[in-house]
Amino acid sequence: MYNVSKNIIKFDNSFLISDIDNFIDDLKKYGTNISVVQIDLSKVETFDNSVLAVVNSLIKKKYRFSLSEKLVAEIKIFDKLISFNEKETIVTSGFENLVIKFNDFISQIISFIVLSADIFFYSIRSIFSKSGRRKGSIYEQILLMGNNAVPIVFLLAFLIGLILSLQSAAQLRQFGANIYLVDLIVISMITEMGPMITAIIVAGRSGSAIAAEISTMQITEELDALKVMALNPLKYVVAPKMIAMTISLPILTIFANIIGIFGGFIIAVIYLELSPIVFFNRAVDVMTLSFWWQSMLKSVLFSWLIVLIGAHFGFNVKGGAEGVGKATTASVVAAIFAVIMTDALLSIIFYFDF
Amino acid sequence: MENIIEINNLVAKYDTKIILDNISLSIKKKEIFIILGSSGGGKTTLLKHIIGLIKPVSGTIDIFGQEVTKMDNDKFDDILTQIGMLFQGGALINSMKVWENVAIPLEQHTELAPNIIRDLVKQKLSLVNLEHAFNLYPSELSGGMKKRVALARAIAMDPKILFFDEPSAGLDPITALELDELILELKEKLGITLVIVTHELESIKRIADRILYLQKGKNIFVGTLEEARAESIDEIDRFFGWK
Repeated sequence: MYNVSKNIIKFDNSFLISDIDNFIDDLKKYGTNISVVQIDLSKVETFDNSVLAVVNSLIKKKYRFSLSEKLVAEIKIFDKLISFNEKETIVTSGFENLVIKFNDFISQIISFIVLSADIFFYSIRSIFSKSGRRKGSIYEQILLMGNNAVPIVFLLAFLIGLILSLQSAAQLRQFGANIYLVDLIVISMITEMGPMITAIIVAGRSGSAIAAEISTMQITEELDALKVMALNPLKYVVAPKMIAMTISLPILTIFANIIGIFGGFIIAVIYLELSPIVFFNRAVDVMTLSFWWQSMLKSVLFSWLIVLIGAHFGFNVKGGAEGVGKATTASVVAAIFAVIMTDALLSIIFYFDF
Repeated sequence: MENIIEINNLVAKYDTKIILDNISLSIKKKEIFIILGSSGGGKTTLLKHIIGLIKPVSGTIDIFGQEVTKMDNDKFDDILTQIGMLFQGGALINSMKVWENVAIPLEQHTELAPNIIRDLVKQKLSLVNLEHAFNLYPSELSGGMKKRVALARAIAMDPKILFFDEPSAGLDPITALELDELILELKEKLGITLVIVTHELESIKRIADRILYLQKGKNIFVGTLEEARAESIDEIDRFFGWK
Protein backbone atom coordinates (compact mmCIF):
# COMPACT_ATOMS: atom_id res chain seq x y z
CA MET A 1 0.00 0.00 0.00
CA TYR A 2 1.17 3.55 -0.63
CA ASN A 3 0.15 7.17 -0.43
CA VAL A 4 0.91 10.11 -2.65
CA SER A 5 1.80 13.48 -1.19
CA LYS A 6 3.22 16.32 -3.22
CA ASN A 7 5.63 14.59 -5.56
CA ILE A 8 6.48 11.73 -3.29
CA ILE A 9 4.95 8.24 -3.65
CA LYS A 10 5.62 6.52 -0.40
CA PHE A 11 5.05 2.81 0.22
CA ASP A 12 4.58 1.17 3.61
CA ASN A 13 6.25 -2.18 4.20
CA SER A 14 4.50 -4.05 1.39
CA PHE A 15 4.34 -3.62 -2.38
CA LEU A 16 2.49 -6.42 -4.16
CA ILE A 17 1.21 -7.24 -7.62
CA SER A 18 -2.26 -5.92 -6.60
CA ASP A 19 -0.80 -2.41 -6.11
CA ILE A 20 0.90 -2.22 -9.47
CA ASP A 21 -2.08 -1.09 -11.58
CA ASN A 22 -2.92 1.89 -9.37
CA PHE A 23 0.73 2.75 -8.92
CA ILE A 24 1.35 2.87 -12.67
CA ASP A 25 -1.79 5.03 -13.16
CA ASP A 26 -0.55 7.47 -10.53
CA LEU A 27 2.85 7.52 -12.11
CA LYS A 28 1.36 8.33 -15.52
CA LYS A 29 -0.05 11.59 -14.15
CA TYR A 30 3.47 12.98 -14.18
CA GLY A 31 3.82 12.24 -17.90
CA THR A 32 7.36 12.64 -19.11
CA ASN A 33 8.30 14.70 -16.10
CA ILE A 34 10.25 11.82 -14.62
CA SER A 35 12.67 13.78 -12.52
CA VAL A 36 9.94 15.47 -10.46
CA VAL A 37 8.55 12.35 -8.86
CA GLN A 38 10.26 10.61 -5.98
CA ILE A 39 9.34 6.99 -5.21
CA ASP A 40 10.07 5.92 -1.70
CA LEU A 41 10.41 2.15 -1.26
CA SER A 42 12.82 2.32 1.64
CA LYS A 43 10.42 0.56 4.01
CA VAL A 44 9.27 -2.16 1.61
CA GLU A 45 10.13 -5.62 2.91
CA THR A 46 7.29 -7.68 1.36
CA PHE A 47 7.15 -7.77 -2.43
CA ASP A 48 6.81 -10.22 -5.28
CA ASN A 49 8.48 -10.91 -8.61
CA SER A 50 6.20 -8.70 -10.69
CA VAL A 51 7.14 -5.79 -8.44
CA LEU A 52 10.81 -6.58 -9.04
CA ALA A 53 10.21 -6.56 -12.79
CA VAL A 54 8.28 -3.26 -12.70
CA VAL A 55 10.75 -1.46 -10.40
CA ASN A 56 13.70 -2.80 -12.38
CA SER A 57 12.31 -1.45 -15.64
CA LEU A 58 11.40 1.90 -14.03
CA ILE A 59 14.93 2.27 -12.66
CA LYS A 60 16.21 1.76 -16.18
CA LYS A 61 13.88 4.55 -17.32
CA LYS A 62 15.64 6.80 -14.79
CA TYR A 63 12.84 7.19 -12.25
CA ARG A 64 14.10 8.26 -8.90
CA PHE A 65 13.84 5.59 -6.23
CA SER A 66 14.90 5.11 -2.69
CA LEU A 67 15.03 1.39 -2.07
CA SER A 68 15.25 -0.85 0.96
CA GLU A 69 18.36 -3.00 1.24
CA LYS A 70 16.39 -6.15 0.59
CA LEU A 71 14.96 -4.67 -2.62
CA VAL A 72 18.38 -3.56 -3.83
CA ALA A 73 19.73 -7.06 -3.37
CA GLU A 74 16.77 -8.79 -5.01
CA ILE A 75 16.70 -6.40 -7.96
CA LYS A 76 20.37 -7.07 -8.57
CA ILE A 77 19.72 -10.81 -8.70
CA PHE A 78 16.64 -10.30 -10.87
CA ASP A 79 18.53 -8.16 -13.35
CA LYS A 80 21.27 -10.75 -13.59
CA LEU A 81 18.74 -13.52 -14.28
CA ILE A 82 17.16 -11.65 -17.17
CA SER A 83 20.39 -10.52 -18.74
CA PHE A 84 20.83 -13.39 -21.21
CA ASN A 85 20.22 -12.91 -24.92
CA GLU A 86 16.99 -14.24 -26.29
CA LYS A 87 17.87 -16.51 -29.14
CA GLU A 88 17.08 -14.37 -32.13
CA THR A 89 15.02 -15.76 -34.92
CA ILE A 90 16.67 -15.01 -38.19
CA VAL A 91 14.74 -12.32 -39.97
CA THR A 92 14.93 -12.69 -43.70
CA SER A 93 13.89 -10.31 -46.39
CA GLY A 94 10.89 -11.01 -48.58
CA PHE A 95 13.00 -12.16 -51.47
CA GLU A 96 15.21 -14.42 -49.36
CA ASN A 97 12.06 -15.89 -47.89
CA LEU A 98 10.81 -16.62 -51.36
CA VAL A 99 14.07 -18.36 -52.24
CA ILE A 100 13.93 -20.46 -49.09
CA LYS A 101 10.32 -21.42 -49.79
CA PHE A 102 11.15 -22.28 -53.38
CA ASN A 103 14.11 -24.45 -52.33
CA ASP A 104 11.90 -26.13 -49.78
CA PHE A 105 9.29 -26.83 -52.43
CA ILE A 106 11.88 -28.28 -54.81
CA SER A 107 13.32 -30.56 -52.15
CA GLN A 108 9.79 -31.68 -51.27
CA ILE A 109 9.13 -32.52 -54.91
CA ILE A 110 12.37 -34.49 -55.12
CA SER A 111 11.63 -36.45 -51.96
CA PHE A 112 8.11 -37.07 -53.25
CA ILE A 113 9.46 -38.52 -56.50
CA VAL A 114 11.96 -40.73 -54.66
CA LEU A 115 9.27 -41.97 -52.27
CA SER A 116 6.88 -42.61 -55.16
CA ALA A 117 9.46 -44.69 -56.98
CA ASP A 118 10.04 -46.74 -53.81
CA ILE A 119 6.33 -47.22 -53.24
CA PHE A 120 5.78 -48.36 -56.85
CA PHE A 121 8.68 -50.77 -56.55
CA TYR A 122 7.46 -52.35 -53.31
CA SER A 123 3.82 -52.37 -54.41
CA ILE A 124 4.64 -54.25 -57.59
CA ARG A 125 6.82 -56.66 -55.62
CA SER A 126 3.99 -57.06 -53.13
CA ILE A 127 1.64 -58.26 -55.86
CA PHE A 128 3.87 -61.22 -56.59
CA SER A 129 5.23 -62.09 -53.16
CA LYS A 130 3.41 -62.23 -49.87
CA SER A 131 6.51 -61.69 -47.76
CA GLY A 132 6.68 -58.49 -45.80
CA ARG A 133 3.00 -57.72 -45.74
CA ARG A 134 0.14 -58.83 -43.56
CA LYS A 135 -2.17 -61.56 -44.69
CA GLY A 136 -5.51 -60.10 -45.69
CA SER A 137 -4.28 -56.53 -45.52
CA ILE A 138 -5.17 -55.73 -49.14
CA TYR A 139 -8.69 -57.10 -48.72
CA GLU A 140 -9.02 -55.15 -45.47
CA GLN A 141 -7.95 -51.94 -47.20
CA ILE A 142 -10.31 -52.48 -50.14
CA LEU A 143 -13.17 -52.77 -47.65
CA LEU A 144 -12.02 -49.67 -45.81
CA MET A 145 -11.26 -47.40 -48.76
CA GLY A 146 -13.56 -48.78 -51.44
CA ASN A 147 -16.53 -50.53 -49.91
CA ASN A 148 -17.13 -48.03 -47.13
CA ALA A 149 -17.05 -45.14 -49.60
CA VAL A 150 -19.87 -46.59 -51.72
CA PRO A 151 -22.87 -44.79 -50.15
CA ILE A 152 -21.36 -41.31 -50.23
CA VAL A 153 -19.92 -41.74 -53.73
CA PHE A 154 -23.25 -43.03 -55.04
CA LEU A 155 -25.23 -40.23 -53.48
CA LEU A 156 -22.93 -37.45 -54.68
CA ALA A 157 -22.55 -38.88 -58.19
CA PHE A 158 -26.32 -39.12 -58.46
CA LEU A 159 -26.80 -35.53 -57.31
CA ILE A 160 -24.08 -34.22 -59.63
CA GLY A 161 -25.68 -36.00 -62.59
CA LEU A 162 -29.07 -34.63 -61.60
CA ILE A 163 -27.93 -31.03 -61.18
CA LEU A 164 -25.77 -31.04 -64.28
CA SER A 165 -28.66 -32.21 -66.48
CA LEU A 166 -31.21 -29.95 -64.82
CA GLN A 167 -29.12 -26.86 -65.53
CA SER A 168 -28.40 -27.87 -69.12
CA ALA A 169 -31.90 -29.12 -69.85
CA ALA A 170 -33.37 -25.68 -69.36
CA GLN A 171 -30.99 -24.27 -71.97
CA LEU A 172 -31.23 -27.13 -74.45
CA ARG A 173 -35.02 -27.02 -74.34
CA GLN A 174 -35.09 -23.48 -75.72
CA PHE A 175 -33.44 -24.75 -78.90
CA GLY A 176 -35.40 -27.96 -79.04
CA ALA A 177 -32.15 -29.82 -78.65
CA ASN A 178 -33.51 -32.09 -75.92
CA ILE A 179 -31.84 -35.22 -77.24
CA TYR A 180 -28.37 -33.72 -76.83
CA LEU A 181 -28.80 -33.83 -73.08
CA VAL A 182 -27.90 -37.50 -73.40
CA ASP A 183 -24.60 -36.69 -75.11
CA LEU A 184 -23.83 -34.05 -72.57
CA ILE A 185 -24.48 -36.12 -69.50
CA VAL A 186 -22.85 -39.31 -70.81
CA ILE A 187 -19.66 -37.66 -71.99
CA SER A 188 -19.24 -35.30 -69.07
CA MET A 189 -20.00 -37.92 -66.45
CA ILE A 190 -17.73 -40.60 -67.88
CA THR A 191 -14.76 -38.49 -68.83
CA GLU A 192 -14.83 -35.72 -66.24
CA MET A 193 -17.25 -35.66 -63.35
CA GLY A 194 -17.28 -39.36 -62.52
CA PRO A 195 -13.54 -39.86 -62.04
CA MET A 196 -13.01 -36.43 -60.49
CA ILE A 197 -15.87 -36.48 -57.99
CA THR A 198 -14.97 -39.99 -56.89
CA ALA A 199 -11.31 -39.07 -56.52
CA ILE A 200 -12.11 -35.95 -54.51
CA ILE A 201 -14.38 -37.85 -52.12
CA VAL A 202 -11.84 -40.63 -51.70
CA ALA A 203 -9.02 -38.12 -51.22
CA GLY A 204 -11.03 -36.56 -48.43
CA ARG A 205 -11.89 -39.90 -46.85
CA SER A 206 -8.89 -42.14 -47.41
CA GLY A 207 -6.09 -39.78 -48.44
CA SER A 208 -6.45 -38.00 -45.12
CA ALA A 209 -6.68 -41.31 -43.29
CA ILE A 210 -3.47 -42.51 -44.91
CA ALA A 211 -1.61 -39.34 -43.95
CA ALA A 212 -2.98 -39.45 -40.41
CA GLU A 213 -2.17 -43.10 -39.92
CA ILE A 214 1.38 -42.91 -41.25
CA SER A 215 2.23 -39.67 -39.47
CA THR A 216 0.94 -41.05 -36.16
CA MET A 217 2.98 -44.19 -36.68
CA GLN A 218 5.99 -41.99 -37.37
CA ILE A 219 5.74 -39.96 -34.17
CA THR A 220 4.92 -42.92 -31.93
CA GLU A 221 7.98 -44.80 -33.29
CA GLU A 222 5.75 -47.52 -34.74
CA LEU A 223 7.56 -47.22 -38.08
CA ASP A 224 10.91 -47.60 -36.32
CA ALA A 225 9.56 -50.63 -34.49
CA LEU A 226 8.61 -52.18 -37.84
CA LYS A 227 12.08 -51.51 -39.21
CA VAL A 228 13.70 -53.17 -36.20
CA MET A 229 11.47 -56.19 -36.78
CA ALA A 230 13.11 -56.34 -40.23
CA LEU A 231 9.92 -55.12 -41.91
CA ASN A 232 9.84 -52.40 -44.51
CA PRO A 233 7.12 -49.84 -43.67
CA LEU A 234 6.62 -49.10 -47.36
CA LYS A 235 5.88 -52.75 -47.95
CA TYR A 236 4.03 -53.43 -44.73
CA VAL A 237 1.96 -50.26 -44.46
CA VAL A 238 1.85 -48.45 -47.82
CA ALA A 239 1.91 -51.21 -50.45
CA PRO A 240 -1.43 -52.77 -49.37
CA LYS A 241 -3.05 -49.33 -49.51
CA MET A 242 -1.55 -48.66 -52.93
CA ILE A 243 -2.79 -51.94 -54.37
CA ALA A 244 -6.20 -51.64 -52.70
CA MET A 245 -6.67 -48.09 -53.94
CA THR A 246 -5.66 -49.00 -57.49
CA ILE A 247 -8.41 -51.60 -57.45
CA SER A 248 -11.12 -49.69 -55.56
CA LEU A 249 -11.03 -46.27 -57.13
CA PRO A 250 -11.65 -47.38 -60.76
CA ILE A 251 -14.49 -49.64 -59.60
CA LEU A 252 -16.03 -46.81 -57.60
CA THR A 253 -15.62 -44.59 -60.65
CA ILE A 254 -17.47 -47.03 -62.91
CA PHE A 255 -20.39 -47.02 -60.50
CA ALA A 256 -20.26 -43.24 -60.10
CA ASN A 257 -20.41 -42.83 -63.88
CA ILE A 258 -23.43 -45.06 -64.23
CA ILE A 259 -25.27 -43.52 -61.29
CA GLY A 260 -24.51 -40.00 -62.53
CA ILE A 261 -25.95 -40.88 -65.93
CA PHE A 262 -28.97 -42.32 -64.14
CA GLY A 263 -29.41 -38.90 -62.48
CA GLY A 264 -29.45 -37.37 -65.96
CA PHE A 265 -31.88 -40.01 -67.12
CA ILE A 266 -34.38 -38.96 -64.46
CA ILE A 267 -34.26 -35.33 -65.57
CA ALA A 268 -34.50 -36.31 -69.23
CA VAL A 269 -37.54 -38.45 -68.67
CA ILE A 270 -39.38 -36.26 -66.18
CA TYR A 271 -38.40 -32.75 -67.24
CA LEU A 272 -37.62 -33.09 -70.93
CA GLU A 273 -40.16 -35.87 -71.47
CA LEU A 274 -37.73 -38.00 -73.46
CA SER A 275 -38.79 -41.59 -73.70
CA PRO A 276 -36.55 -44.01 -71.76
CA ILE A 277 -35.92 -46.07 -74.90
CA VAL A 278 -34.71 -43.00 -76.80
CA PHE A 279 -32.43 -42.06 -73.91
CA PHE A 280 -31.02 -45.57 -73.74
CA ASN A 281 -30.38 -45.91 -77.47
CA ARG A 282 -28.77 -42.51 -77.71
CA ALA A 283 -26.62 -43.22 -74.63
CA VAL A 284 -25.31 -46.45 -76.12
CA ASP A 285 -24.52 -44.63 -79.37
CA VAL A 286 -22.57 -41.90 -77.63
CA MET A 287 -20.77 -44.10 -75.14
CA THR A 288 -17.68 -45.16 -77.07
CA LEU A 289 -15.04 -47.35 -75.53
CA SER A 290 -12.47 -44.57 -75.70
CA PHE A 291 -14.44 -42.51 -73.18
CA TRP A 292 -14.35 -45.43 -70.78
CA TRP A 293 -10.60 -45.84 -71.28
CA GLN A 294 -10.16 -42.17 -70.52
CA SER A 295 -12.24 -42.54 -67.40
CA MET A 296 -10.29 -45.56 -66.18
CA LEU A 297 -6.91 -44.04 -66.97
CA LYS A 298 -7.82 -40.98 -64.99
CA SER A 299 -9.12 -42.86 -62.00
CA VAL A 300 -6.03 -45.10 -61.83
CA LEU A 301 -3.77 -42.04 -61.92
CA PHE A 302 -5.89 -40.33 -59.29
CA SER A 303 -5.73 -43.38 -57.03
CA TRP A 304 -1.93 -43.34 -57.17
CA LEU A 305 -1.80 -39.60 -56.51
CA ILE A 306 -4.03 -39.93 -53.45
CA VAL A 307 -1.96 -42.70 -51.85
CA LEU A 308 1.43 -41.21 -52.77
CA ILE A 309 0.54 -37.74 -51.50
CA GLY A 310 -0.96 -39.14 -48.30
CA ALA A 311 2.16 -41.24 -47.70
CA HIS A 312 4.48 -38.33 -48.52
CA PHE A 313 2.90 -36.04 -45.94
CA GLY A 314 2.67 -38.89 -43.46
CA PHE A 315 6.34 -39.80 -43.62
CA ASN A 316 7.49 -36.17 -43.52
CA VAL A 317 5.55 -35.23 -40.40
CA LYS A 318 7.26 -32.87 -37.98
CA GLY A 319 6.36 -32.33 -34.34
CA GLY A 320 3.76 -34.14 -32.29
CA ALA A 321 -0.01 -34.25 -32.40
CA GLU A 322 -0.10 -30.84 -34.04
CA GLY A 323 2.08 -32.18 -36.86
CA VAL A 324 -0.39 -34.99 -37.54
CA GLY A 325 -3.18 -32.45 -38.01
CA LYS A 326 -1.07 -30.34 -40.32
CA ALA A 327 0.05 -33.35 -42.36
CA THR A 328 -3.53 -34.54 -42.74
CA THR A 329 -4.85 -31.18 -43.87
CA ALA A 330 -1.93 -30.59 -46.22
CA SER A 331 -2.34 -34.03 -47.78
CA VAL A 332 -6.03 -33.49 -48.56
CA VAL A 333 -5.44 -30.05 -50.04
CA ALA A 334 -2.48 -31.29 -52.09
CA ALA A 335 -4.32 -34.41 -53.24
CA ILE A 336 -7.40 -32.52 -54.41
CA PHE A 337 -5.20 -29.95 -56.14
CA ALA A 338 -3.19 -32.68 -57.85
CA VAL A 339 -6.35 -34.52 -58.92
CA ILE A 340 -7.90 -31.44 -60.53
CA MET A 341 -4.61 -30.41 -62.17
CA THR A 342 -4.08 -33.86 -63.60
CA ASP A 343 -7.67 -33.99 -64.77
CA ALA A 344 -7.32 -30.68 -66.59
CA LEU A 345 -4.05 -31.76 -68.18
CA LEU A 346 -5.42 -35.09 -69.36
CA SER A 347 -8.62 -33.52 -70.66
CA ILE A 348 -6.60 -31.12 -72.79
CA ILE A 349 -4.41 -33.93 -74.06
CA PHE A 350 -7.39 -36.11 -74.96
CA TYR A 351 -9.39 -33.25 -76.43
CA PHE A 352 -6.66 -32.32 -78.88
CA ASP A 353 -5.82 -35.98 -79.36
CA PHE A 354 -2.08 -35.51 -78.88
CA MET B 1 33.59 -64.18 -22.82
CA GLU B 2 32.98 -63.56 -26.47
CA ASN B 3 32.01 -60.12 -27.77
CA ILE B 4 28.59 -59.99 -29.40
CA ILE B 5 28.68 -56.30 -30.35
CA GLU B 6 31.78 -54.30 -31.15
CA ILE B 7 31.78 -50.61 -31.89
CA ASN B 8 34.84 -48.82 -33.19
CA ASN B 9 35.36 -45.06 -33.49
CA LEU B 10 31.67 -44.34 -34.02
CA VAL B 11 30.87 -40.72 -34.89
CA ALA B 12 27.32 -39.38 -35.24
CA LYS B 13 26.10 -35.94 -36.19
CA TYR B 14 22.78 -34.18 -36.51
CA ASP B 15 23.48 -31.48 -39.09
CA THR B 16 26.78 -30.13 -37.79
CA LYS B 17 26.28 -30.93 -34.13
CA ILE B 18 28.33 -33.89 -32.95
CA ILE B 19 26.15 -36.29 -30.97
CA LEU B 20 28.52 -39.22 -30.61
CA ASP B 21 32.22 -38.50 -30.51
CA ASN B 22 34.47 -41.41 -31.37
CA ILE B 23 32.77 -44.10 -29.34
CA SER B 24 34.49 -47.47 -29.06
CA LEU B 25 33.21 -50.30 -26.91
CA SER B 26 32.37 -53.96 -26.89
CA ILE B 27 29.43 -55.79 -25.39
CA LYS B 28 29.92 -59.35 -24.24
CA LYS B 29 27.63 -62.31 -24.74
CA LYS B 30 25.01 -62.86 -22.03
CA GLU B 31 25.65 -59.71 -20.10
CA ILE B 32 23.40 -56.85 -19.07
CA PHE B 33 25.01 -53.76 -20.45
CA ILE B 34 23.62 -50.44 -19.27
CA ILE B 35 24.03 -47.20 -21.19
CA LEU B 36 23.67 -44.14 -19.00
CA GLY B 37 24.50 -40.50 -18.96
CA SER B 38 22.97 -37.08 -18.70
CA SER B 39 20.00 -36.07 -20.85
CA GLY B 40 21.02 -35.22 -24.41
CA GLY B 41 24.21 -37.24 -23.91
CA GLY B 42 23.57 -39.42 -26.94
CA LYS B 43 22.27 -42.61 -25.31
CA THR B 44 19.23 -43.14 -27.53
CA THR B 45 21.24 -42.06 -30.57
CA LEU B 46 23.82 -44.76 -29.81
CA LEU B 47 21.06 -47.34 -29.50
CA LYS B 48 19.50 -46.26 -32.80
CA HIS B 49 22.88 -46.60 -34.50
CA ILE B 50 23.40 -50.12 -33.25
CA ILE B 51 20.01 -51.28 -34.52
CA GLY B 52 20.58 -49.54 -37.85
CA LEU B 53 17.82 -46.92 -37.68
CA ILE B 54 20.50 -44.27 -38.23
CA LYS B 55 23.67 -44.70 -40.24
CA PRO B 56 26.87 -43.35 -38.67
CA VAL B 57 29.01 -40.62 -40.17
CA SER B 58 32.06 -42.78 -39.63
CA GLY B 59 33.15 -45.78 -37.61
CA THR B 60 32.12 -49.43 -37.60
CA ILE B 61 29.61 -51.56 -35.73
CA ASP B 62 30.02 -55.34 -35.61
CA ILE B 63 27.09 -57.49 -34.55
CA PHE B 64 27.62 -61.27 -34.33
CA GLY B 65 31.04 -60.60 -35.85
CA GLN B 66 29.64 -58.95 -39.00
CA GLU B 67 30.18 -55.32 -39.91
CA VAL B 68 26.71 -53.84 -40.31
CA THR B 69 27.04 -50.15 -41.15
CA LYS B 70 27.58 -50.78 -44.84
CA MET B 71 25.64 -54.00 -45.07
CA ASP B 72 22.83 -54.25 -47.64
CA ASN B 73 19.27 -54.30 -46.35
CA ASP B 74 18.45 -57.97 -46.97
CA LYS B 75 21.50 -59.15 -45.08
CA PHE B 76 20.89 -56.71 -42.28
CA ASP B 77 17.31 -57.99 -42.01
CA ASP B 78 18.74 -61.41 -41.12
CA ILE B 79 20.57 -59.80 -38.24
CA LEU B 80 17.50 -57.84 -37.19
CA THR B 81 15.47 -61.03 -36.88
CA GLN B 82 17.87 -62.09 -34.13
CA ILE B 83 17.44 -58.78 -32.31
CA GLY B 84 14.58 -57.45 -30.22
CA MET B 85 13.97 -53.84 -29.32
CA LEU B 86 11.69 -52.30 -26.77
CA PHE B 87 10.90 -48.67 -27.53
CA GLN B 88 10.29 -46.02 -24.92
CA GLY B 89 6.54 -45.74 -25.47
CA GLY B 90 6.17 -49.36 -26.54
CA ALA B 91 5.60 -48.44 -30.21
CA LEU B 92 2.82 -50.99 -30.60
CA ILE B 93 0.92 -50.83 -33.87
CA ASN B 94 -2.24 -49.08 -32.72
CA SER B 95 -4.48 -50.45 -35.45
CA MET B 96 -3.76 -54.04 -34.42
CA LYS B 97 -4.81 -56.03 -31.37
CA VAL B 98 -2.31 -57.00 -28.70
CA TRP B 99 -1.95 -60.56 -29.88
CA GLU B 100 -1.58 -59.44 -33.51
CA ASN B 101 1.19 -57.10 -32.44
CA VAL B 102 3.09 -59.89 -30.74
CA ALA B 103 2.48 -62.12 -33.74
CA ILE B 104 3.95 -59.70 -36.31
CA PRO B 105 7.54 -60.99 -36.27
CA LEU B 106 6.40 -64.62 -36.15
CA GLU B 107 3.99 -64.19 -39.06
CA GLN B 108 6.50 -62.33 -41.17
CA HIS B 109 9.72 -64.21 -40.54
CA THR B 110 8.64 -67.79 -39.93
CA GLU B 111 6.61 -70.36 -41.82
CA LEU B 112 4.80 -71.49 -38.69
CA ALA B 113 1.13 -72.43 -38.86
CA PRO B 114 -1.35 -69.87 -37.49
CA ASN B 115 -2.33 -72.03 -34.51
CA ILE B 116 1.32 -72.51 -33.53
CA ILE B 117 1.86 -68.75 -33.77
CA ARG B 118 -1.19 -68.19 -31.55
CA ASP B 119 0.23 -70.57 -28.97
CA LEU B 120 3.61 -68.83 -29.04
CA VAL B 121 1.89 -65.47 -28.63
CA LYS B 122 -0.04 -66.82 -25.64
CA GLN B 123 3.21 -68.13 -24.12
CA LYS B 124 4.91 -64.74 -24.45
CA LEU B 125 1.91 -62.87 -23.08
CA SER B 126 1.76 -65.18 -20.08
CA LEU B 127 5.44 -64.58 -19.52
CA VAL B 128 4.73 -60.86 -19.08
CA ASN B 129 1.51 -61.53 -17.10
CA LEU B 130 -0.83 -60.12 -19.73
CA GLU B 131 -3.02 -63.09 -20.58
CA HIS B 132 -6.13 -60.95 -20.18
CA ALA B 133 -4.94 -58.40 -22.77
CA PHE B 134 -4.87 -60.93 -25.63
CA ASN B 135 -7.81 -59.46 -27.52
CA LEU B 136 -7.48 -55.81 -26.52
CA TYR B 137 -6.21 -52.89 -28.58
CA PRO B 138 -3.09 -51.00 -27.43
CA SER B 139 -5.19 -47.89 -26.75
CA GLU B 140 -7.05 -49.85 -24.05
CA LEU B 141 -3.84 -50.54 -22.10
CA SER B 142 -1.98 -48.53 -19.48
CA GLY B 143 1.58 -47.31 -20.11
CA GLY B 144 3.12 -50.14 -18.12
CA MET B 145 1.02 -52.77 -19.87
CA LYS B 146 1.99 -51.38 -23.27
CA LYS B 147 5.64 -51.76 -22.33
CA ARG B 148 5.08 -55.34 -21.28
CA VAL B 149 3.29 -56.14 -24.55
CA ALA B 150 6.18 -54.52 -26.38
CA LEU B 151 8.53 -56.75 -24.41
CA ALA B 152 6.48 -59.79 -25.38
CA ARG B 153 6.76 -58.70 -29.01
CA ALA B 154 10.49 -58.06 -28.68
CA ILE B 155 11.13 -61.59 -27.37
CA ALA B 156 8.67 -63.25 -29.73
CA MET B 157 11.46 -64.50 -32.00
CA ASP B 158 13.70 -65.56 -29.09
CA PRO B 159 16.31 -62.94 -29.98
CA LYS B 160 19.95 -63.20 -29.02
CA ILE B 161 20.20 -59.52 -28.17
CA LEU B 162 17.52 -57.36 -26.62
CA PHE B 163 17.64 -53.57 -26.59
CA PHE B 164 15.64 -51.46 -24.15
CA ASP B 165 15.09 -47.73 -24.37
CA GLU B 166 14.23 -46.63 -20.81
CA PRO B 167 12.16 -49.68 -19.87
CA SER B 168 11.19 -48.58 -16.37
CA ALA B 169 10.62 -44.89 -17.07
CA GLY B 170 7.13 -43.96 -15.88
CA LEU B 171 6.53 -47.27 -14.10
CA ASP B 172 5.71 -47.57 -10.43
CA PRO B 173 8.46 -49.11 -8.25
CA ILE B 174 6.72 -52.48 -7.96
CA THR B 175 6.17 -52.88 -11.70
CA ALA B 176 9.72 -51.67 -12.29
CA LEU B 177 11.00 -54.34 -9.88
CA GLU B 178 8.99 -57.02 -11.66
CA LEU B 179 10.40 -55.85 -14.97
CA ASP B 180 13.93 -56.07 -13.57
CA GLU B 181 13.26 -59.60 -12.36
CA LEU B 182 11.97 -60.46 -15.80
CA ILE B 183 15.11 -59.00 -17.36
CA LEU B 184 17.35 -61.08 -15.06
CA GLU B 185 15.27 -64.14 -15.89
CA LEU B 186 15.71 -63.52 -19.62
CA LYS B 187 19.45 -63.36 -19.14
CA GLU B 188 19.71 -66.44 -16.89
CA LYS B 189 17.20 -68.75 -18.56
CA LEU B 190 17.46 -67.80 -22.21
CA GLY B 191 21.01 -66.47 -22.29
CA ILE B 192 19.98 -63.22 -23.93
CA THR B 193 22.36 -60.27 -24.08
CA LEU B 194 20.62 -57.13 -22.89
CA VAL B 195 21.56 -53.56 -23.79
CA ILE B 196 19.56 -51.09 -21.72
CA VAL B 197 19.33 -47.30 -21.69
CA THR B 198 18.07 -46.21 -18.30
CA HIS B 199 18.22 -43.57 -15.60
CA GLU B 200 16.75 -45.60 -12.77
CA LEU B 201 19.47 -45.95 -10.12
CA GLU B 202 17.75 -48.78 -8.25
CA SER B 203 17.28 -50.72 -11.43
CA ILE B 204 20.90 -50.22 -12.48
CA LYS B 205 22.16 -51.47 -9.14
CA ARG B 206 19.94 -54.52 -9.37
CA ILE B 207 20.71 -55.69 -12.86
CA ALA B 208 23.85 -54.12 -14.33
CA ASP B 209 26.80 -56.30 -15.27
CA ARG B 210 28.67 -53.44 -16.89
CA ILE B 211 27.86 -49.80 -17.56
CA LEU B 212 28.79 -47.25 -20.20
CA TYR B 213 28.68 -43.63 -19.14
CA LEU B 214 28.18 -41.11 -21.96
CA GLN B 215 28.74 -37.43 -21.41
CA LYS B 216 28.07 -35.02 -24.23
CA GLY B 217 28.62 -37.80 -26.74
CA LYS B 218 31.90 -38.93 -25.23
CA ASN B 219 32.52 -42.31 -23.70
CA ILE B 220 33.90 -41.46 -20.25
CA PHE B 221 33.63 -44.84 -18.60
CA VAL B 222 33.03 -48.51 -19.43
CA GLY B 223 33.16 -51.21 -16.78
CA THR B 224 31.43 -52.72 -13.78
CA LEU B 225 29.82 -50.68 -11.03
CA GLU B 226 32.62 -51.61 -8.61
CA GLU B 227 35.21 -50.37 -11.09
CA ALA B 228 33.23 -47.17 -11.57
CA ARG B 229 33.21 -46.62 -7.84
CA ALA B 230 36.92 -47.36 -7.53
CA GLU B 231 37.83 -44.96 -10.32
CA SER B 232 35.86 -42.13 -8.70
CA ILE B 233 35.06 -40.07 -11.77
CA ASP B 234 33.35 -36.90 -10.60
CA GLU B 235 30.39 -37.08 -13.00
CA ILE B 236 29.61 -40.73 -12.24
CA ASP B 237 30.00 -40.26 -8.49
CA ARG B 238 27.44 -37.49 -8.65
CA PHE B 239 25.12 -39.61 -10.79
CA PHE B 240 25.05 -42.43 -8.25
CA GLY B 241 25.23 -40.12 -5.24
CA TRP B 242 28.50 -41.68 -4.08
CA LYS B 243 29.86 -38.30 -3.21
